[in-house]
Amino acid sequence: MSYICFEKINKKFGTNHVLKDIELDVEKGQFVTLLGPSGCGKSTLLRCLSGLEQVTSGRIYLDGEDITAVTPRHRGIGMVFQQYSLFPNLSVRRNVAYGLKLKRLPKAEIDQKVEEMLSIVGLSDKIDQYPAQLSGGQQQRVALARAMVTAPKVLLLDEPLSAIDALLRKSLQIEIRRIQQQLGITTIYVTHDQDEAMIMSDVINLFHDGKIEQTGTPEQIYTRPATRFAATFIGNYNLLDAKDFNRAFGTAIPQPEVAVRPEIINLSRQAVAKGEGLLVAEGKIASYISHGNLIRFSVDVNGLLINADVLFEDKREFAQGDQVFVTIKEDLVIGLQ
Amino acid sequence: MQKRARINAAIVMSIIILWLMIPLGATAVYSLFEDWTGIVPRGFTLANYKTIFTDTAFLSAMYQTVLICVIPILITIAVMLLALFTVTVYFPKLEKYMQLLCMIPYTIQGVILSVSILILYARNDSVLSQRMVMLMGAYCIIILPHIYNGIRNGMRAINMKMLLDAAEMLGESKLKAFFKVIVPNIMTGIIVSSLLAVALLFGDYVIIRNLSSANVNNMQQFLYQAMKRSSTEASAVSMVIILITFAITALVLALQSRGMLEKMRNEGK
Repeated sequence: MSYICFEKINKKFGTNHVLKDIELDVEKGQFVTLLGPSGCGKSTLLRCLSGLEQVTSGRIYLDGEDITAVTPRHRGIGMVFQQYSLFPNLSVRRNVAYGLKLKRLPKAEIDQKVEEMLSIVGLSDKIDQYPAQLSGGQQQRVALARAMVTAPKVLLLDEPLSAIDALLRKSLQIEIRRIQQQLGITTIYVTHDQDEAMIMSDVINLFHDGKIEQTGTPEQIYTRPATRFAATFIGNYNLLDAKDFNRAFGTAIPQPEVAVRPEIINLSRQAVAKGEGLLVAEGKIASYISHGNLIRFSVDVNGLLINADVLFEDKREFAQGDQVFVTIKEDLVIGLQ
Repeated sequence: MQKRARINAAIVMSIIILWLMIPLGATAVYSLFEDWTGIVPRGFTLANYKTIFTDTAFLSAMYQTVLICVIPILITIAVMLLALFTVTVYFPKLEKYMQLLCMIPYTIQGVILSVSILILYARNDSVLSQRMVMLMGAYCIIILPHIYNGIRNGMRAINMKMLLDAAEMLGESKLKAFFKVIVPNIMTGIIVSSLLAVALLFGDYVIIRNLSSANVNNMQQFLYQAMKRSSTEASAVSMVIILITFAITALVLALQSRGMLEKMRNEGK
């Protein structure tokens, strides 16, 4: 049995069926992300694991023990919430020490653990300040320290960076991952941001409509989306049904639909001969958008728009209306279920 | 142009304030009158104040007023805290009904309330028929909306559900977390609503007169007695009551502005 095991989890709020037969295993020490759009059930599953929500049916096992009916405070799980959840009337020191005091540890040990944990999150100098005196990022780091200082069996993070500005969010993503690896703590992270999931995770579980759509490493999820939803949510895939694909590239495919990543499409002015495992089509640049490090060209191929990403090196290679040849390696075309 | 408009507004405001202060100022001056000689007083004196502050009946009225204010307020706060905790955590759908119930006392006149209580409980053999209990009960009802609003607004300002969840995840029980984490954070709201309730009960005459005039003598009743004895002494008593109410209001405003400052600081403004 895995370290954490969800067995046929169902959760209903009235008539709203939020989680549908969820089966999920998490290994010890892993950083697992639940990724999906708002309302897909990822936070609900996290709250079911924490005990803050009760499952309608199914069982949850943690370290071999059935915790389905155990109260949140007896599960030994730490949690960081989306909004700042520090106790406003307590200093940073007392916030972090809160869980340790409940464990009735000696004062000297509490002080030592609090100082150690604050040093890990880089906030030793803020120990006697109050939450109102800290920035959003600092508050979430204190919340992280407070959740981890009790050495929980699992750390749950429910979109902890969603209220933080983009620049700080990126540095905190890396910092959280570093701390998780340093302490080796099993972590389940909820986010709707695919970039965040890619950067931080060992394993991503893609949620859609109360079900897990696909599970895999970030690379697997990105390069091999199994379904149309996965391809749409994860990247900027070109989605082509068999008929359109045939119209564009003159090749019949066995799958009903395929996905093609924009960055694996090659554009050139010179004619490219069709070869073994190479798909070629001729088109015209319809439009382009600059993304800073790359330019996304939209190419009209027989009335079908195909997006291709080109690294922006020195200057833009193509202008609107230019005739181009679109080349794709056949083995990089992904058939969808 | 803007400066001129501001000056005009200040002049208008000053006139209104002066107009409203006339009765207060007149009462204050009148309370210092020594004796009438016909048109003008013979002189000014603090004798009225000396009289009331050395009168044991006044001190007793003050003590009893404080007592009959504090006990209902403490009872109402305790009941409201537990009720709001239960409703917010376990039965959130019932919150709207609770709000409705707590707002009803706003619409009840003191006379109607006291007479209704008398009709209901006066012939009852239980402890509820005791006049002091009736009075305390009536006061609990009167101040219910104020206490409810103070506590509820405080809870809304701090995202109580999430703080309770956070405390529970750290190993605390919900009830203990409520008293250790939530109550300290809504203390300003509790104090403000309590002081408003004190100001409200301090001015009561109707309910206490109807329900318990034989048992309790509060400030308003003392004022009524003073009016029978001497009008200048009654003015002195009025001034003392006004100053106490003013002090309470000033304290409420100071606490509210401190609360607003803290909120602004929390929001990084």
